[in-house]
Amino acid sequence: MPQAENNDLQRRAGGIFAVAVSAATGHTRSPVALSPTAITNGLTSRALRKFAPKSSLPPPANRVVGAPRVTVYRAAKPVRAVGDLFAMALDAMVLIFKPPFAWREYLLQSWFVARVSMLPALMMTLPYSVILTFIFNILLTEIGAGDFSGTGAAIGTVNQIAPIVTVLVVSGAGSTAMCADLGARTIREELDAMRVLGINPIQRLVVPRVLAATTVALALESAVTVVGLTGAFFFTVYVQHVSAGAFVAGLTTLTGLSDVVVSMVKATLFGFAAGVIACYKGISVGGGPAGVGNAVNETVVFTFMVLFAINVIVTAVGIQFTVS
Amino acid sequence: MTVALPSKLHPPLQRTKNVVVGGWNRIGSQMQFYVTTLGSIPDALINYRAEGLRLIAQMGLGTAALAMVGGTVVIVGFLTMTTGALVAVQGYNQLASVGIEALTGFASAYFNVRLIVPGTASVALSATIGAGATAQIGAMRINEEIDALEVLGIRSITYLASTRVIAGVVVVIPLYCIAVMMAFLASRAGTVTIYGQGSGVYDHYFNTFLSGRDIIWSFFQSIAITIVIMLVHTYYGYNASGGPAGVGEAVGRAVRTSMVVAAVEIVMITLAVYGESGNFHLAS
Repeated sequence: MPQAENNDLQRRAGGIFAVAVSAATGHTRSPVALSPTAITNGLTSRALRKFAPKSSLPPPANRVVGAPRVTVYRAAKPVRAVGDLFAMALDAMVLIFKPPFAWREYLLQSWFVARVSMLPALMMTLPYSVILTFIFNILLTEIGAGDFSGTGAAIGTVNQIAPIVTVLVVSGAGSTAMCADLGARTIREELDAMRVLGINPIQRLVVPRVLAATTVALALESAVTVVGLTGAFFFTVYVQHVSAGAFVAGLTTLTGLSDVVVSMVKATLFGFAAGVIACYKGISVGGGPAGVGNAVNETVVFTFMVLFAINVIVTAVGIQFTVS
Repeated sequence: MTVALPSKLHPPLQRTKNVVVGGWNRIGSQMQFYVTTLGSIPDALINYRAEGLRLIAQMGLGTAALAMVGGTVVIVGFLTMTTGALVAVQGYNQLASVGIEALTGFASAYFNVRLIVPGTASVALSATIGAGATAQIGAMRINEEIDALEVLGIRSITYLASTRVIAGVVVVIPLYCIAVMMAFLASRAGTVTIYGQGSGVYDHYFNTFLSGRDIIWSFFQSIAITIVIMLVHTYYGYNASGGPAGVGEAVGRAVRTSMVVAAVEIVMITLAVYGESGNFHLAS
């Protein structure tokens, strides 16, 4: 049992290293790049021996000594998963600039993500911007500043609602579908078949998906902002009886170009992170239909956690530039 | 031997008709599933108590990789903590730009309770316990375990869906408390520690405007949202099809639908509870 786990560890460490080496030296299309058997000889093997963690040494004869190592191996699993994720993100970023670029896959994926995200995004924006405007307006009416309802709507929609709804939809609709698709390919061993054929799945499948999620998130964010502000306008003017001119005039009181730019930067980062996490969970899936279901579930949870964290950080940094 | 089929009249018209009728029938079958699930809750409480308890434990702690990062409790706490911190970041700075940053405590007491906690909790619940339920039930459907349950004489909707709705409602009670606590603490820590506002100023406005009635309504709102989320997620899991990829797609569709439905539900309940005037009195 320790032998098998050691082999597994060796293969994983070697696999990541081989990709990094191949990305750096330009041999991306070589079938050697990710083949588990190839890492036991040549340059990679020497490098592996140098950087390998201690547990990849030959298993000790005494089994009692081996047991704590297995426990450490298990306990360190989440850390290794994070490392694998970053390794894959690095590979994807390097391979973006390496020809050939999979244009057809990129366009198909962009169209697919846009198609599944558009309607849910618009249907989520309207309720959230309406409720935000409603709650803001209660407050503004109470202090006699109902004419500034446009200002509240603009702050809320541009700075928070639009990026967050984009996050939720791109990760809830786009990245779940990507993860399900890649996960199904992985458990049918299609990715291994691609490697045998000398095609790097990171370059052919992951790079176009990550870029598609990024592009669509950016485009979606713009659409969501417009729809949210329009919804807020109709709700404020026709339900809460604020003058239309005052609403429109108030829009730009506190919100300007810099807010829109920060919001777009947020959306771009969200799209990239969601794409990377979805692809990583998809290509590292195991264990049949239940495995794919769990991988998709984990994708949703991890993307939400990462994206909410990014949102707070980017807001805190961006607000230094936007609020004068 | 070839068989001649009669040619269809007006194929585009037929296709449109099929789409419309298909959509209509899907809504009908969803409603039927929801009514059956809700109607079977007493049955589940009487006959499948052990399964319900098992699900409560599982939903609270999460499974597999989710349990490793601390389970549902930590995930919900983390998400509401980030949105609570957002109140400090955005609220403090925007209010400071018009010179009333002293009111950040008020913003925390007002926006967290009425909008941010129910909204974030709905998203977090849909991603954790909801998507988990879809993944489990979907995998059972693909492996034909649900058919096996029916053959064994177990009412599958009661056993799988109703128990999960009950478990979701039980689990959301502590989760909501954690969510509110985390949102308040994160707002306070951000305003007082990071932006350096006096803690007395913050606490004064926070305590003055924190309304117990709002919190209770927000709590019931969260329970109502949980019921709808669990219904949507169990439906999509129960009707998953198309192999391993089908389970993943079902999870995606369920998350998408439940987030939209939860957003609409938040608006409806807020408007119903607070009314058009908002039922808010700054002076009293």
